[in-house]
Amino acid sequence: MLVSLSLSSLLTLFFIMLMASGISGLLFLHPRVPLSFVRIHIGILALPLLVSLLILANSGVSGNVGPWHLDSLACLMTFFVLAIGFIIQRFSVRYLMGDRSYRKYFTLFTFTTGAASMTWLSGDLRLMVLFWGATLVGLTLLIRLNSAWQVASEAAKISGRLFLLSWFSLFFAMMWLFHATGQWQLSLVVTNESLAGLGEWERTGIQLLIVLAVIIPAAQWPFQRWLVESIVAPTPVSAIMHAGLVNAGGIILTRFSPLFHGGIASIILLLLASISVLIGTGISLVQVDYKRQLVGSTIGQMGFMLIQCALGAYIAAIIHLILHGLFKATLFLQAGSAVGRHEVSTRTNERTSYLWVMAGRILSLVIGVAFWLTAPGDGYHLISALILGWSLSVSWDQLVAFGEGRIGRIAGLTVLGGAALVYFIIHHLFYKWLHTTIFQSVQPPMSAVMIVVCLLLFGSALGTWVARHRSSVFFAVLYLWLVRLGEAKPKSVESHPDYLKQYIS
Amino acid sequence: MGITSVLTKDNVKKIDTDIDVQERDLNVFITSASRVIAPLWPISTFAARNPWMGLENQPFDQVASWLKNTRDVDIYPSASMIRSAKNKGEIDEDFVEMGLQRWLDSHSYHIPRDVAERFCHAALKLDPLPSDLLSSHELEKLVSECSGLDHIENVFMQPLSSYIENQDGERLVNILDHHVIKWSKLYLDDSQAGWTMPNREEGFYRAWQHLIQYDPALSKKQRERVKGWPKEAHLALQEALFALEIPESEIQTYLEGHLLSLPGWAGMMLWRSQQSSHEHALLTEYLAVRISMEWALIKPYLPLTNERSKKTISIAPLIAAWIHWGGLTLEEWSQMTASEQNEYLSFAYSFDEKLRKKLWLEAWEQTYTDRLSQKIISKQRETGREKSALAQLAFCIDVRSEPFRRQLEKEGPFETIGIAGFFGVPIATCELGSKHSHASLPIIQKPQNKIKEFADEDVFKKYNQRKQAIHSLSHTFKTMKQNALSSLLLPELSGPWLTLQMAARSFVPRKAGRFIRNLREAWLRKPDTKLSLHHDATEAEIPVGFTDEEKVNYARQALKMMGLTENIAPLVVICGHGSQSTNNPYSAALDCGACGGAAGGFNARVLAALCNLSEVREALLAEGIKIPEDTVFAAAEHNTTVDELHWLYVPELSEAAQEAFEQIEAVMPKVRHHVNAERLAQLPNFQSKLKNPKAEANRFAEDWSEIRPEWGLARNAAFIIGKRELTQDCDLEGRAFLHNYDWKQDESGELLANIIVGPGTVAQWINLQYYASTVAPHYYGSGNKATQTVTAGLGVMQGNASDLLAGLPWQSVMESDHEAYHSPLRLLILIQAPREYVERLLNHDSAFLQKVQNGWVRLASLDPEGCWESW
Repeated sequence: MLVSLSLSSLLTLFFIMLMASGISGLLFLHPRVPLSFVRIHIGILALPLLVSLLILANSGVSGNVGPWHLDSLACLMTFFVLAIGFIIQRFSVRYLMGDRSYRKYFTLFTFTTGAASMTWLSGDLRLMVLFWGATLVGLTLLIRLNSAWQVASEAAKISGRLFLLSWFSLFFAMMWLFHATGQWQLSLVVTNESLAGLGEWERTGIQLLIVLAVIIPAAQWPFQRWLVESIVAPTPVSAIMHAGLVNAGGIILTRFSPLFHGGIASIILLLLASISVLIGTGISLVQVDYKRQLVGSTIGQMGFMLIQCALGAYIAAIIHLILHGLFKATLFLQAGSAVGRHEVSTRTNERTSYLWVMAGRILSLVIGVAFWLTAPGDGYHLISALILGWSLSVSWDQLVAFGEGRIGRIAGLTVLGGAALVYFIIHHLFYKWLHTTIFQSVQPPMSAVMIVVCLLLFGSALGTWVARHRSSVFFAVLYLWLVRLGEAKPKSVESHPDYLKQYIS
Repeated sequence: MGITSVLTKDNVKKIDTDIDVQERDLNVFITSASRVIAPLWPISTFAARNPWMGLENQPFDQVASWLKNTRDVDIYPSASMIRSAKNKGEIDEDFVEMGLQRWLDSHSYHIPRDVAERFCHAALKLDPLPSDLLSSHELEKLVSECSGLDHIENVFMQPLSSYIENQDGERLVNILDHHVIKWSKLYLDDSQAGWTMPNREEGFYRAWQHLIQYDPALSKKQRERVKGWPKEAHLALQEALFALEIPESEIQTYLEGHLLSLPGWAGMMLWRSQQSSHEHALLTEYLAVRISMEWALIKPYLPLTNERSKKTISIAPLIAAWIHWGGLTLEEWSQMTASEQNEYLSFAYSFDEKLRKKLWLEAWEQTYTDRLSQKIISKQRETGREKSALAQLAFCIDVRSEPFRRQLEKEGPFETIGIAGFFGVPIATCELGSKHSHASLPIIQKPQNKIKEFADEDVFKKYNQRKQAIHSLSHTFKTMKQNALSSLLLPELSGPWLTLQMAARSFVPRKAGRFIRNLREAWLRKPDTKLSLHHDATEAEIPVGFTDEEKVNYARQALKMMGLTENIAPLVVICGHGSQSTNNPYSAALDCGACGGAAGGFNARVLAALCNLSEVREALLAEGIKIPEDTVFAAAEHNTTVDELHWLYVPELSEAAQEAFEQIEAVMPKVRHHVNAERLAQLPNFQSKLKNPKAEANRFAEDWSEIRPEWGLARNAAFIIGKRELTQDCDLEGRAFLHNYDWKQDESGELLANIIVGPGTVAQWINLQYYASTVAPHYYGSGNKATQTVTAGLGVMQGNASDLLAGLPWQSVMESDHEAYHSPLRLLILIQAPREYVERLLNHDSAFLQKVQNGWVRLASLDPEGCWESW
């Protein structure tokens, strides 16, 4: 440890820094403060981030400090949200230059990410609900940043309504938990002793409320509409939305993992999430707008994260939500690069590489099975092995089997090997890091695992089938439904951005 | 429900009988209607386009009022823009006054001149009428007492769906737009979707007709309405128009209304229909889809009763104007006789907002012209060309060349030349190993030859493998993304790498950008290439390479255009230009407009190589154009974002050429420093004083979050065709296109005619593109870059979905949401030649004459005696 500060003093320092960034955000609102202050603001934003990094480095043990709860998960999430927020605000300095709401944007953004980071540090149920509510309010305001634009207000309205439902659901779940256990403190609530007092229907009721509370921000079917329509928000707002806020469900479910012991709520979650994986992937397959494809992909990825949670693979879910957040934030920020000449690469050797393809299939099978056999009893492990093997097969085909000449194949193999190596190192690090977090994973019934496996395989098979039957009625219907699910309602669409007329008049 | 709109079998049969005639008529209607839109090409080759290219046979102000009436689009600068220009001193108010007097003189009215003038002066302040006056009771009383005005405004027929609202209060035309946007983007998609639209191969209409019966976005009833719809697009269009009861006299207007609803998507359809024969009827198909859907949506509301009542003029604002601006009191007004009132009303009506803005715009333009003429005439060089230029550098006419040329000339014995950036070689270019060829010439022309870049077989093979390896990386990413199972692993696999990139690009944008670029280049190691200049084969109807005759012709033409037929320096550098920006969907908009929206280095290389060929030189010598033995032609590319000259082709140099080359290299850092400093001062930034302009310019180019990498051609206002000596000592502020022209070398007037047809049109289109995007940013621009999404790989939409936006983004013409950067002025073309030359030009080129007469460009000439004349 660099500094042997006690956790509580570090935490105090952290809150002071967070306050400082909030004050700096408020200060920037004042028209007398020059616009160039934004660079100082970015500097101040780095302070809480650095302290949270320090906490992260110090958080060997978990513990409560006042109403705050510190463990490796809380520290990691705080750091993650602040880091993403910091990078996106840095991006916005130039990207939003000249915008009417420039000042307001930075203030709101600072508050939203600040509130989100506090949510994950909360050890008290009331604080958690409060801060999460503040985060949602902040996000809604960010979506309607350009209030002169009617479609942005419409999107904010839809998001706001759904967020309200989600928030109330969480609120009632927490009230109920308190009512049943008599505790506000998270670590005391989720002990086996206090949960033992819950009746079966009480437990199910709370579970269902929590499930509702998490699938809305994760934009799961049938609540995907807010994410679909909030594409109107400026690119950096979409980036933080997809990177730092849609994945709240994974963290909440991890926090309340002792509450979930299979049961009907888990099955419902599993079903909705699996459907969302298919719908999300489908939307990103049929859509032609860059940002809309990303929305589809987020719905699918969040579905996968919730599947992982429902199957008790909480660490895997956390890893997924963090890496997905970074992945999606980058893809949004580089949305301007989506234009390019798409040369259809002619693969001269697609036929001659049959042997290579077969080799890839066998290798994938072997690796998939070997991976599964490292923990054959674990339900999620089977799914993991399936995805791993499948992905290996797909990427092998593209990178190695169809590689152009020796250079192509060697480069492909190197990339594949490098990516795999980094993948395993990162996962290893995360597992080592997160295993200290308290959570309870219960093996899901094998039938649930099989349902998921079947759905995923069904999705893949459907893709192959569709490629061969493109003129069938079934495909037409499926195609149009997927288009419909990914499209905004006419009310949220304007043929021309008419608000600009006001700007120049 | 309207009985009349129900199609009976008899009706259909009746249509069938005279189908041939009708189909031909319909095609005529569609072709004439398509004048209101302009073809739109993909954003990856964004070359400026004039949104009014089909309307140049009408005067500018007529088009302006037509657009105001039909689409509520104002194509005169807004009051706030005019005010801000006035405050910046860009408008001389004397010109406004002169314009007003001219207008008053040319109109007859029976109002005392001083009263009229007082009214006009007050109205020209462009303040809106106070709303409390407009809503006051006294005014209402006066209006009810007044007999009204006996003018009738033209009412243009709008799509019927725009008159109808559904039970939720949404206008049906918005719902129609929503559907049409969806179908258009799905059909036009350029390999973005994993699953493309079923039956797309059969054409837009057929695919739609097949799918529409299953579309869950329509209600069951609506689906049933189009279930038995004809299989052919033109039949469907006829049937829909018939069902909507559009009288034949209004069909063209009706189609125009529909095309103008989404001019971007319609423009893209129009462009595609011109590209390939199997889609030649795409615009008909588009209209068929659109109007059939309209019918399906509005059927329950038919027939419409009072949708098109004649628009009467509201006289309340006219009376209010007299009271507020004309200084009349309510009593004075009510004491007037009816005929007096009518006179006053019709005066106020004709001196409307449009006219007021027109006067201001013309004064603004006049002020610019006036100042430019003073600048040029006062600084004109007396002496002719300095004989001892060490090197001659030819640049594109682009306005960004001007500051660069100015600084370069200051630093040494260099002569610079302006010529359209495709250098007169009408080619399609094909880069090493690419299947795609790019038409690298002004959009209005068609390529005549194809030039390929090639390298030795074995070197090329290795290079291709390295290139494919990069391709397969992005291809793998895409394939994994589109597979249900592997897409779930993709974030975890690529997340760490993307994070690394995101962090690096955010905190060290300059270094990260350069590192990634260098890494790519180091991996690719593009080999030295040659060009297929010599004719060998014909590919896709275009010959590859030039015949011997073409080589000489193109070289001669270019040399003549540049005025380089004598006194040729030891080194002649042909400089194309390109830009460099990161994460910018509009990067092509910053490239060379004369090269079809791409960098112009390839063309520069071709011309330089042609001029070095010994056979070409021999042939030219026979015609009296002597290129000295030790003269060498080289090619370079001017990077307009960082103002650097990047050498593309330097053959073996003679001693004198070597000396020139070294001197150019030696002054380049200084030139760059000055130009960077000059340009960066204009770009919005937090630092007002830059210590290191070079580093900052590089940051603008490499930073992925930079919203304005450079200003592009914003603020362009003039096209000067004349000798460089004319403008050499003027700081033209990067606002002028410059083309070399010496009338003494052009007795037949052919060179001038060519300059006007080619480069002149390019400059005019660029100018009007900027103009339109500034005055109507929502309709002709493309809105805020931060809320755009790239769609179908073709263009951008705003928010959730919108028209395919065609123009320049908001940030390219605006300094901030409050302040415009571009000054919307119509292009001033200045020709340095005797009056007869200009007269001859106007007599021969009727299209150009039309543009000048109708106010789409402004024309002035400067004769050898230094006399300035506006045409």
